Amino acid sequence: MSAPLLRFAHVTYRHAGAVTPALADVTLEVTAGEVVALAGAPGAGATTFLLVAGGFAPRLVGGTLDGTLHRAAARPGIVFAAPWTQLTGLCQTVLAEVAFGPAGLGLPREAVRAAAERALERLGVLHLAGRDPATLSGGELQRVVVAAALALEPDLLLLDDPAAELDPAGADALYALLPDVAAAGAAVLVATPDTERAARAATRAVRLDGGRVVADGMPAAVLAETPAARIARAAGCPAPLPLDVDALVARVAR
Amino acid sequence: MIGYRPGDSPLHRAHPYTPLALAASLLLTVFACGSPGAVGAVVLAAVVLAAAGGVLGYTARPALALGLATWVLLLVLHGLFGPEPFVAAGPLGVSAPGLRRALVLGGRLTAILVAFLTVLAVVSPARLVDAMTDRGVPFAKMYLLVSTLTLVPRLRVRAAQILEAQQCRGLRLGGSPLARVAALGPLVLPLVLGALAEVDEQVLALDARGAGRPGRRTALDPPGDSALQCTMRWVALLLAAAAFAAKFAGHAL
Amino acid sequence: MSGHAVRLEAVSFRYDAGDVLREVSLALPAGSSVALLGPNGAGKTTLTRLLVGLRRPRAGRVLVGDWDVATKRPDEMARRVGYAFQHADQQLFARTVADDVAFGPRRLGLSPDGVAPVLEELGLAGVARRHPYDLPAPLRKLVALAGVLAMRPGVLVLDEPTAGFGAAARGMVVTALRRRLAEGITVLAVSHDLEFVAETAERIVVLERGRVAADRPAAALLRDAPALEGLGLRPPTPVRIGLALGLPEAPVREADVVAALAGVRWLGRPV
Repeated sequence: MSAPLLRFAHVTYRHAGAVTPALADVTLEVTAGEVVALAGAPGAGATTFLLVAGGFAPRLVGGTLDGTLHRAAARPGIVFAAPWTQLTGLCQTVLAEVAFGPAGLGLPREAVRAAAERALERLGVLHLAGRDPATLSGGELQRVVVAAALALEPDLLLLDDPAAELDPAGADALYALLPDVAAAGAAVLVATPDTERAARAATRAVRLDGGRVVADGMPAAVLAETPAARIARAAGCPAPLPLDVDALVARVAR
Repeated sequence: MIGYRPGDSPLHRAHPYTPLALAASLLLTVFACGSPGAVGAVVLAAVVLAAAGGVLGYTARPALALGLATWVLLLVLHGLFGPEPFVAAGPLGVSAPGLRRALVLGGRLTAILVAFLTVLAVVSPARLVDAMTDRGVPFAKMYLLVSTLTLVPRLRVRAAQILEAQQCRGLRLGGSPLARVAALGPLVLPLVLGALAEVDEQVLALDARGAGRPGRRTALDPPGDSALQCTMRWVALLLAAAAFAAKFAGHAL
Repeated sequence: MSGHAVRLEAVSFRYDAGDVLREVSLALPAGSSVALLGPNGAGKTTLTRLLVGLRRPRAGRVLVGDWDVATKRPDEMARRVGYAFQHADQQLFARTVADDVAFGPRRLGLSPDGVAPVLEELGLAGVARRHPYDLPAPLRKLVALAGVLAMRPGVLVLDEPTAGFGAAARGMVVTALRRRLAEGITVLAVSHDLEFVAETAERIVVLERGRVAADRPAAALLRDAPALEGLGLRPPTPVRIGLALGLPEAPVREADVVAALAGVRWLGRPV
């Protein structure tokens, strides 16, 4: 059991000027190799959790943090839902945009280029390397943004509804990537309303409500609101509910 | 309209610092000049610069549009109401020193407009960033400069989207002056609020990618430079300095 | 409150880059519910823009009821067509959610009483006094939709209405649309969320490269896995369950597949 990359101990976080905490008394640990799905209604605290976990709150967004937060991750990467706001706006080509992170490490040019190309390859968008980011569709751009985050090989990857702009095939491909990233030694946290895809990719799920952790365990238990789970519940299937079609079909006595 | 226009002219292909230095030199020199002749020469040089960038037609239109009203105003203010009129008709007169002043001021404005618009047109923000990165400029300084350059095109795209969305909610464009003022809120507020919200996310995303990290960044595709261009830049700036020196020594051009 | 019929008659449209729509003819009877599918660049968004007068066809006619869209401005078309954009942040500007939702109805001279019920319907009553930009993205999208519904248009055009939504928000949109459909309002939705399409659409039109490639009853296309695969899509969950279990006619809606599973015996830990 490796040392945790992230340890929250009774963490309470309030946005600047807010009375109600956005995160309340959160205690949990995340280790390398985990893919953790964060579920909860909009405003329940999943996005805030990502910002605090990555050290962006309170450092960049203000607010106050109580409790103990230990982060062993040296390089958190973060991906938001809307790709356009995550570009530097200074790069003429997709390759330059993705290379922005590695370029800041002072590595030689060829190493920077190679890191960027590797990341683009992983997302299946190497063919877009020479394109102007301003000409890409939402789906293509989001893949570029994820590549840009992966180019730095983060040991903690934080994603906030990363597939919101993607079509179903693109979303499938993106979520399929997450276990690979974790297998390479990172911890992946993904906040998303897409419980079905999250359930397929995640090793663990945490549900937040009003800033508190109300569930933390196997995806099958925590994410039981996928279409298949809803149908199974309504049709009288006993717990644990199946999360996808194959699992549901397997529970039907023939 | 206003902003970078891709092209293949010598100025486009040059190292981005070159058109910047040439334009800066022209801007400085024109303030050091005091006579219509010298100012006219600088205006001519600015026009040559625009032609070298292949953007003469494109800079001429805004320069004329922006400059025309000012020229008329200057000619009236200084030319007709200036000192020592040599033709008089009551309070009005045509004043030679006044006309000279108008020509100098108007010429300065024209030179500035043409030089500035040329630089905006031929220097690609991305290439400028590469050049600055190669020279070791820290990212934060670059971001401020380049964001300002790209601000207008970005806002224009958003503004067009907002215009469409609000029209679909029944917002009518045009109409009485009062109606137009009332329409500003629904058009400008989403622009500003949206832009602010975007900046929040962008800061986080860029910070995660190491934008705030100290140390030298690797330039991926630094523009080529040459000894010739380097010499041109230095010569141009030295000439501007010389013009200023002459002005302070009392021998303004 | 009833809806208008929408007709496209041999409509062509092009941008500088090339033809986007080629002689598209489509008839949506009043009160019908159509989903528009197709790959990126097929012309779906352009078609929706034509319906509100944001673009004018190069050839052909677009009719909403008896209005020829070419003769109307977009703010005039707003009286008949409500357009929910994919990205809500293009239109939110007021200090409170309630004020923002009231903007459209005020423009049209409608009574402000219509705002509160719509907020209630979309679960926004609790945030009515909040600033829209203080809300998370899915709620902002619901606020924008509320603004469109509050204008009580006879035709609703929706561009990816459930993108970024969880099950709860999607359910509210489905309920709201079903209520409008029952009132006879015409609905056209561009969406790749086939669970949502299954719950609301009776007909699916597929656009490919600017032409109508398919125009079928929704249930038929949603059961046609090969056809959906060609579009990069899979049948919605109820259909996949029905096909896997060999149910006589694979139901497309959740309630229907639940009913079909009524007599089933479940394996697994007893309660």
